[in-house]
Amino acid sequence: MTVPPDRGVSRRSFLKGSAVVGIATTGLDAAAGAVRPTRPASFGPGQHEIALLVNGSEQKVKVETRTTLLDALRDGLDLTGAKKICDRGSCGGCTVLMDGVAVNACLTLAMDAVGSKLTTVESLTDKDAVHPLVQNFVQCDAMQCGFCTPGMVMSSLACLQKRGKPTVEQMKHDLSGNLCRCGTYGRVMEAIERTAQAGGK
Amino acid sequence: MSQHPAQDPSDGVEITVGYKALPGQQDRFEKRTVEPKTGDPLPWDANTQFQVVGTDVARVDGLAKASGRAKYAYDITFPGMLHGALLRAPIAKGKLKALSLDEASAMPGIAAVVALKEVGNKVRFVGDAIAAIAGVSQHAVRDALEKVRAEYEAEEHNVDYNVAEGAPLLDANGQVEDAWPEAKEIEEALGKAAVTHTGTYRTEVQTHSSLETHGGVAKWNGQDLDFWMSTQATFGVRGELARALQGRGIKVGTVTIHAEFVGGGFGSKFGAGIEGLACALLAHAAQKPVKLMLDRFEEHTTTGNRPGALMQARAGVDKDGKLVAWDWRSFGHAGFSGQGGSVAVPNYYAIATKPRREHKDLAIDTDPPRPMRAPGHPQGWFGVELFLDELAAKAGIDPLAFRLQNDREQIRQDQWRFGAAEFGWEKARAHQNAADARWRRGVGLASARWGQLGNQGRPAHGATCRVHQDGSVEIRSGSQDIGVGLKTVMAVLTAEELGAPLAAVNAIAGHTSDPSGPAAGGSMVTPSLAPAIRQAAYRAKLQLREMVAKHLGVPVGDVDCKNGKIGTGTAQLPWAEACKLIGPNPIDVRGERLANFEKPFHATQCGAQFAEVEVDTWTGIVHVTRMFGVQDCGLVIAKKQAESQVLGAMIQGVSYALHEQRIMDKRSGRMLNGDFLRYKITGPKDLPELRCHMHSIANGHDSVGAAGLGEPPSVASAAAIANAVFHALGAPVRHLPITPDKVLAALASKKA
Ligand code: FES
Ligand code: FES
Repeated sequence: MTVPPDRGVSRRSFLKGSAVVGIATTGLDAAAGAVRPTRPASFGPGQHEIALLVNGSEQKVKVETRTTLLDALRDGLDLTGAKKICDRGSCGGCTVLMDGVAVNACLTLAMDAVGSKLTTVESLTDKDAVHPLVQNFVQCDAMQCGFCTPGMVMSSLACLQKRGKPTVEQMKHDLSGNLCRCGTYGRVMEAIERTAQAGGK
Repeated sequence: MSQHPAQDPSDGVEITVGYKALPGQQDRFEKRTVEPKTGDPLPWDANTQFQVVGTDVARVDGLAKASGRAKYAYDITFPGMLHGALLRAPIAKGKLKALSLDEASAMPGIAAVVALKEVGNKVRFVGDAIAAIAGVSQHAVRDALEKVRAEYEAEEHNVDYNVAEGAPLLDANGQVEDAWPEAKEIEEALGKAAVTHTGTYRTEVQTHSSLETHGGVAKWNGQDLDFWMSTQATFGVRGELARALQGRGIKVGTVTIHAEFVGGGFGSKFGAGIEGLACALLAHAAQKPVKLMLDRFEEHTTTGNRPGALMQARAGVDKDGKLVAWDWRSFGHAGFSGQGGSVAVPNYYAIATKPRREHKDLAIDTDPPRPMRAPGHPQGWFGVELFLDELAAKAGIDPLAFRLQNDREQIRQDQWRFGAAEFGWEKARAHQNAADARWRRGVGLASARWGQLGNQGRPAHGATCRVHQDGSVEIRSGSQDIGVGLKTVMAVLTAEELGAPLAAVNAIAGHTSDPSGPAAGGSMVTPSLAPAIRQAAYRAKLQLREMVAKHLGVPVGDVDCKNGKIGTGTAQLPWAEACKLIGPNPIDVRGERLANFEKPFHATQCGAQFAEVEVDTWTGIVHVTRMFGVQDCGLVIAKKQAESQVLGAMIQGVSYALHEQRIMDKRSGRMLNGDFLRYKITGPKDLPELRCHMHSIANGHDSVGAAGLGEPPSVASAAAIANAVFHALGAPVRHLPITPDKVLAALASKKA
């Protein structure tokens, strides 16, 4: 792992930063060749520019130390798929993957996400390529108002990646941090099952 | 029915209404003569063969939602957009004594500050809005809110219904102690009854808990206002906002509401609310777009709720189990306004003497109720249906037999019989729990009804249909799709009527610049709009047929539009070819919602639900293991989406039955569980095995015969679950939600 010194950080913070990154990257695939950004030099009040590795590309965003990853993604990068629903880690609407693990972006500080590989729901749909899980959400009508859906998709993705062919109990377990007021749970599980059967992750 | 327009429908046309036999039951068809209005297509009826309607289609905005690209009001941003938030009163009752916004407005990044109350104004509940602030970031606004100097003069408050003015006295068991008001006839009938029963039932306040909170983004352009709002009543809030702004001396040009995607409403989002007004005022003051969304605590405590209820019944049956007397009184848990707490009860059980039903609302110092999915119904049905099961048990009658004996509705009679067979009622009901078993199983059932089948509105609800020369079709309504699948319904109806490929149709909803339509309330949107949508597509079809007839040199009367082809016999044009005849200006027509036909097949929707529970008698925890619902749903237009709505309502019913209650702190007057950690709604692990049967009925109501599905499937679920718990325990839990403490208390009372 190399971090070029042209990122506007001092040598000291560079060393500090790479040490942090070193721990965070253990066991990771090499983030599609992208260079891992570092934390800023200081953590005082006011705004700091940080770089987040989102969906395979590095994105600069201004945050305060208290800014959550969710607010950074939504307000800073206009990635509005993740939703703020409870803001307290109890609904899963803000779920994103951080180094492959589903996390509540509302409970994660943006600065703590520096150096991690972040995956948001937007990455699953391209102009001409739609992830099979997303397709199956549509096929199974695993949504009504759709507000919980991006979070559901991301928790479902983590479930599939972790378990391959999850059982019903495992699906319920892995989705248990996600709330849906419209009552789409059964159809979300159908979508996971279909995707698993077709071998998609 | 023929696809061709009626030449002279004034003599009326004969249609078939009713429904094909539910498995094991009989066909229930009837003939009606109806008079299609001028300009309307011939009505669809029970014999219509559909190409697209009723098939499995993907939700038209499904990909937008599942990909995270759908832009809800909460997701809208503009360059330079500010964030707004409200200052809320910390006291439940009193007056605003002093207010200074100077320090707050001098904070860094603050662009606008607006007072919403003046010194001397009343504070009516914890969370009453005092002032609003907009600034460059959420943090800046939060910091500034702390600098507002507000002082209050607190008065004594009450947030406990049990001691509200006019509340009845309860005994140690929670039963109403007050004597019944005199009613000679009822008392005589009760005196002669073979078996009588009385009981008191209670439900708690439930919050709507839409996952998208209230709020939106306001953007002024001179005197014109565009507002992206999380609302279920685009046209209603448009008028409300314009009036409120004018009331504050602001010159208002055009107000346009946008609600393309809405993250749930369930009855709480009919108004622009103080948050909507504040957002528009801040944007006006700052001359910049402002986003103001409530947080979860504000959503729980300031945007309405389903009121709780206290209900008491007494009734009697004769030796055959027929109801001979019915007496009922209920008390609704309203907020500071003292209104909106009403309780609805079933009216289809035959009762030999005139029943009495009385209701009174109780006021306390909290946020008032708002309509919530079948307002008044789940609470009333819980009380009545559990009471009836208790009465039937006393009389030694099976609950199903009791319903068959007393239910006057033919449709539900069929639904009871079919549903019971499908659910395996007899066998499950006969199950005996061992006396010392830890896990006890039980099954219960409950009825449902909803009494709205849509209307024409004033001015008439409309829809616009445009067919372009590239073959694409637009169908537009200014009504909003809050998740029920309205856009999919619009596309399906249009494709069916036009004969166009479904993929060619773009359904656009939620902008008040398009034709007016109803609010998403009372399950009225689909039945109110469907005929207007169909008529718009029909009028477009007439124009296209004419062009094609001319082009092919065939009589226009012979031209049919079906399955993406237009023409007659061997002279057919594929859809895309036919549309090339249109030219640069599209076919652009408006459909209108005309009056309903007289004498529909039925005016109310019937349903029945069955539930099975497993109760852990050691912990008191109830698991709903399976549910089955039979739901009258009119003409099923978009099958999957309609089913989603019914299944979702049943899950909400589980939530209402077992989990949800607002808990108020008596001293501070504040909600103690105003979040999603301690206000629990049903999660994935609570999910029972769910099935529903969509009971399609040609209601002969209008040219389509659609029905809404917001409320109808929401009525019975909690009642059926409560009855299943009664069956499992042998003792009723008469107070929702059925939490472990109440289950253990019911078991203890049985032993005592
Ligand atoms: S918003 Fe993050 S868990 Fe609810
Ligand atoms: S689809 Fe509406 S909250 Fe899940």
